[in-house]
Amino acid sequence: MFTEVLPQAVAPSDTATTDFPLATRRRRKISPYLYVLPASALLIVWTYLPLARTFELSFFDWNLLPTQPKTPVGLDNYSTVVALPEMQQALWNTVLYIGAFMLISVVLPVMFALVARRVSGRAKQVYQALIFVPFLITPVATSAIWRWLFAPENGTIPQVVKVFGIELGDIFRNPDTSLLAVVLIVGWGMLGFGVLVVSAGIAGISPDYAHAASTDGATERQITWRITLPLLSPTLVFLSLMTILLSAQWTFPIIDLTTMGGPSNSSTNIYYLLYQFGFANFDAGLSSAAGVLFFIGFGLIALIFVELSEKLSFHDN
Amino acid sequence: MSFTLVAPEYGRTEIAPAKDETATKAAVARAKRHRRVRKVPAFVILTILAIISIFPIYWMFVTAFRPADQMLSSNPLPGPFSLENFAYVWSTIPILGMLGNTFGMALGLAIGQLFIAILAAYGFARWNFRGKKLIYILFIGSWLVPFQVTMIPNYVLVSQMGLLNTIAGVMLPQLCSAFAVMLLRQHMESFPKELLDASEIDGRTTWRTLWTVVVPNLKPALAALGIMIFISAWNEYLWPTLIMRQSTDLIQVGVRSFLGAEGNNWGAVMAASALACLPIFLIYIFLQRYVVDAFVRSGLK
Repeated sequence: MFTEVLPQAVAPSDTATTDFPLATRRRRKISPYLYVLPASALLIVWTYLPLARTFELSFFDWNLLPTQPKTPVGLDNYSTVVALPEMQQALWNTVLYIGAFMLISVVLPVMFALVARRVSGRAKQVYQALIFVPFLITPVATSAIWRWLFAPENGTIPQVVKVFGIELGDIFRNPDTSLLAVVLIVGWGMLGFGVLVVSAGIAGISPDYAHAASTDGATERQITWRITLPLLSPTLVFLSLMTILLSAQWTFPIIDLTTMGGPSNSSTNIYYLLYQFGFANFDAGLSSAAGVLFFIGFGLIALIFVELSEKLSFHDN
Repeated sequence: MSFTLVAPEYGRTEIAPAKDETATKAAVARAKRHRRVRKVPAFVILTILAIISIFPIYWMFVTAFRPADQMLSSNPLPGPFSLENFAYVWSTIPILGMLGNTFGMALGLAIGQLFIAILAAYGFARWNFRGKKLIYILFIGSWLVPFQVTMIPNYVLVSQMGLLNTIAGVMLPQLCSAFAVMLLRQHMESFPKELLDASEIDGRTTWRTLWTVVVPNLKPALAALGIMIFISAWNEYLWPTLIMRQSTDLIQVGVRSFLGAEGNNWGAVMAASALACLPIFLIYIFLQRYVVDAFVRSGLK
C-alpha cells in the first residue's frame, strides 16, 4: 500500500522544495543544527570548556576561592604532582584496582557464563534477576551493608571466619586489607553485571558454528577456545574498556564511604586523590595538573581499545 | 515475522532426528541423561552467585526489621518483626522529603535527558549536514573525559551561577547524556525513512513528524533508556555530595551524614539504607526484565 502511494507523492514534493520561498529553504538548512544545538551546547559548556579550564588551571596556583587571585606557576604543579609519594602510591593502587576488576568483571564472568549457559528458560531468568540486584544498589547502602557485614563486633563475616580460627579485625582500618575490602565491595556489584553481559554475548553467537565444528569432530574444549571465545572478543573488549574507564567512577563512592583512601593512602586511587587535592586541600592547580595527566593517559588506553575492538569486530560475519 | 522466527527451529528439529537416524534409542537416552548431568555444575555456580548477590541485601532487611535491642543478633532467620528502626530513622531525619526530592531529581533528569537526546538523535539520524561528523565526534569523545577531570571548573561554574546547594545545580551539568544520544541515533537510523518522508508529504513539519511518528514508535527503547537514566541518577554520588555540601535534601547526601552520625547503630543504619534503595527495588520488582535488558543490551552496543 505504502510503496504504491509514495512515488506519486514524491513528484509534487520535489517541485515543492524548489518552489519554496527562500526563507523556508533556509529554515530547512538550519533545522538539523537546531535539533542538535541543545545537546551540543550542554556538552560544550559542561564537558569541553571545563576540560580546557582544567588545562588552564593546571598552570596556576589557586585555592578555589573566587576572591583569591590565581598566580601563574608554569609547570610547577606538574613537577610537584609527579614527585608526590601519595601520587605514586595512588597510581600503583589504580593499577591494582583495574587488575582486580578485570578479573572480577571480565575473567570470572566469562568462566561463570560458559558454565552457566546450559541453564535456560525460567530458571535462567530467575537467576539473572537475582544476580543483577547488587549492580542496582545505591552506593551509600552498599557500603553500609558491607560495613555491617564486616563490623569487628558482631559482624557476620568476622563471626563466621572466627570459627576457622581467623581474627579479621577492622579490615577497613588495616592498611593490608583496606584495598582488598574496597575491591570486594565494588566487585560484588560488578560481577553479576559482567556475567549477564557475557551471557548475552554468548547467546548472540549463532549455535551453527559450534554445530558445524562438532560435526567435524571438534571437542568441547576446542569449540570454547577456537570458536566461542574469539567470537565473543568484541564483547570482552567492550567490557574491558568499560572496566578501565568506569572503575574510577565505581570505586569513588565506596572508597569515600568506607576507607576515605586510608589508612595512610593504602586504598586511595588517582581519582580519589584528585578529589582530595581539589576539595579537601583546596589546591585547584595540583588537582588540575593531575587531572590533565590522567586524562591523557586514559585517553591513550581507550584509543588502543577502540582500535582493538574495530580489528576484532569483523569476526562475526 | 513470526513465520521467519518459527521456521529455523522447525528446520532444526527436522534435521536432528534425520542425522541421528542410525543412532539407537538407548544412545539418545544416554545423551539426554548426560546433558542433564552436565547441567549440575551450571546450577551450582549460579546458585552460589545468587546467594552471594542476595545475602547482603537479605541481611540488610533482616537487621532493619529487628527490634533495636536485638539488632546485633546473628540468628540468620528473620524476626522478631519490628518497625522500631524505621520509626527512629523517620523521627531523626526528614527521610520522606529526601526521598521525594531525589525522586523528583531523577525523574526530571530522565525526562530532560530523554528530551534533549531525542532532539539531537533526530538531527543526526534524519539529515546530512555540514559538520555533522565533527559534532558527532564531540559526543563520542566525551566518553574519554572522566568527570573527576572536569569537576573543579564545573563546581566553579555552578557556584558562579549561584546554584550551590540546590537541586538545579546537581541536575544542570548532567542534562546532556552523550550515551543517550548515541543509543537513540542508532534506533532512529533503523527507522524506515519512507515513513518519515510520507509523514512530511502529508504536510507535517519535521517537528511534528518527530513527535507523532518517530517517538511513538520508539516507546519501548525510550522507556528502557528512561529507566536506566532514572536509576543512574538516583545512585549518582560524587556530584550531589559536592554540590549539596551544606544541604541534606538528597537521599545520598542525607543518608551519608546519617551513617556518619549513627556509627554502629546498625539497625537504624540498615533501615536508612533500605529506604535509600526503595524506589529502585520497586522499579526492579515490577520491571525486572526491562531493567536487566536495558543495562545489558545497551552495554553490548
